[in-house]
Amino acid sequence: MKPKILTVDDSKTIRLIVGKAFKPFDVDVFEASNGVEGLAVASREKPDIIILDITMPIMDGSECLAKLKSNPDLKSIPVIMLTAESGRENVLKIAKMGVRDYLVKPFKEDLLIERVGRVIELKAKGEGVKKAKRYDDPLSVLVVDDKPAIIEQIKSAVADTPWTVHGRTQTGEAVDFCSQNLPDAILVSLTLPDNAGFTLFQMFRASAKTKATPVFGMCVKTASEEQLRAQQVGFTGVVTKPLDPDELKSKICRSLNLDTSYKYFQQRDGVLVLSLPATLTPNVANEISLQLRPKVAEAVDSGLGKMVVDMGQLRVADVNLVRLGISAIQLCGELSLKHRLIGSSLVQQECRNYEETKDWQFVASFEEAVAALNDPMAVAA
Amino acid sequence: MPITPLMIADIEQLIGSCVTDVFGTMLSMDVHPASPSDPADPPSEAHVASAVGFSGVITGVVYIYTSSSFARRCAGSMLGLTDAEIDGDEMVNDVMGEIANMVVGNLKSGLCDRGLTCVLTIPSIVRGRFSIEPISSSERKVFHFTCESRPLLVEVMIKHSSERAA
Repeated sequence: MKPKILTVDDSKTIRLIVGKAFKPFDVDVFEASNGVEGLAVASREKPDIIILDITMPIMDGSECLAKLKSNPDLKSIPVIMLTAESGRENVLKIAKMGVRDYLVKPFKEDLLIERVGRVIELKAKGEGVKKAKRYDDPLSVLVVDDKPAIIEQIKSAVADTPWTVHGRTQTGEAVDFCSQNLPDAILVSLTLPDNAGFTLFQMFRASAKTKATPVFGMCVKTASEEQLRAQQVGFTGVVTKPLDPDELKSKICRSLNLDTSYKYFQQRDGVLVLSLPATLTPNVANEISLQLRPKVAEAVDSGLGKMVVDMGQLRVADVNLVRLGISAIQLCGELSLKHRLIGSSLVQQECRNYEETKDWQFVASFEEAVAALNDPMAVAA
Repeated sequence: MPITPLMIADIEQLIGSCVTDVFGTMLSMDVHPASPSDPADPPSEAHVASAVGFSGVITGVVYIYTSSSFARRCAGSMLGLTDAEIDGDEMVNDVMGEIANMVVGNLKSGLCDRGLTCVLTIPSIVRGRFSIEPISSSERKVFHFTCESRPLLVEVMIKHSSERAA
């Protein structure tokens, strides 16, 4: 259930500002323009937090708070008082009223979000459906590095995706960016002057808006001290320089649980087809391996009984292929799935060099594979 | 407690700080002190005056004047709305009232911390072409500012102690 926020303020302006501040979050915001209305809405909606103004007509915030605290059903609702008066006397008075926190006007939206975020869990809208996001969905990636060349390298590393890279060379600019936008992933240089990368990470984690956003550190492979420190403080991961585009994309995909299976698994003519790319790097092999069981099980569950592993694009048959091929064939056996392998003459020849794959039998095309699968007399590969 | 020249000077400092803080934080606008002879002053169009009073050991009222077009600009900035999205004068009035409430709320805190305790009134708004004439029993001070090259006037009126005692 979404958290509920009740704003009680006679100023429509403040109610609008509160509503706008929490728009990016998966919350319901309720409004009341005085204490009497506030009590009625609180009784009806049982909000998770109340943002209460002090100076209001009909019933002011102090009286409203006293009534909330004397009502057994409402007394446990945390209240943040909003006041235009920051004087010592007023602050002491508020503290004695039993409020969770108070905020002095004027206030920045970010401060309001942070204070509310201390009391209730704020999830960005859509956070719960991230699993459904695909690799080819547009993503926003914030890169914070004082070296513009690195930002450019990352832009070109993801140029084959619809992702947008927002480069910032100063930490202040990155904070400003996040106050206006919610990036899907953040990359921060661990070697910014004065430990600024680590300080920035703490700020991201302290902010309700970015606390769940994956944050990766970036440094050279030999900077083991920085890598260890990043691991200890809780960075999502570390990307080493020089950047490997596949590794970078793979790490971002995993952190966001992006669905990349459509790149490798398709259903065609009642057959599940696993198409291996031209180059099977360890990262890609691992990615496919993780998707293999759920995708095959899903196909079987939907009534499919045949599978083709298409290695026709592969340029090299190496240990990554051997492991993946064995897993696929074993899985087909476990789930009683008929299967066929498609391979170029080069792949077929290389497979004969491995003990584990020397007996694999290949066909040259999908049509041949389907024909063999439909032949009741044919023997599986 | 008599109104001394020192206290007026203190209010001037407080007003400057409160106006700068409120406009900077809520509207992301820089406010600069200006002299009354600045070319941008006074506004030729109808203006909006938002007022909040304070009453107690010290009693008075603070008015904030802007042109109606600048008030609209303030509303857009504070609410993150475009000019077309601003829904009539009521929304602008509410924003200007809230700005006055924040400025005078902060002023009140400064006064209370100096022992000049008081309570505030709810904001009120007046629109049109007019000027506020002080009564003889009150002391008046006008502070001139510019914001985005537009004039912004803050007028503080304080009743003399004899009046307050009466």
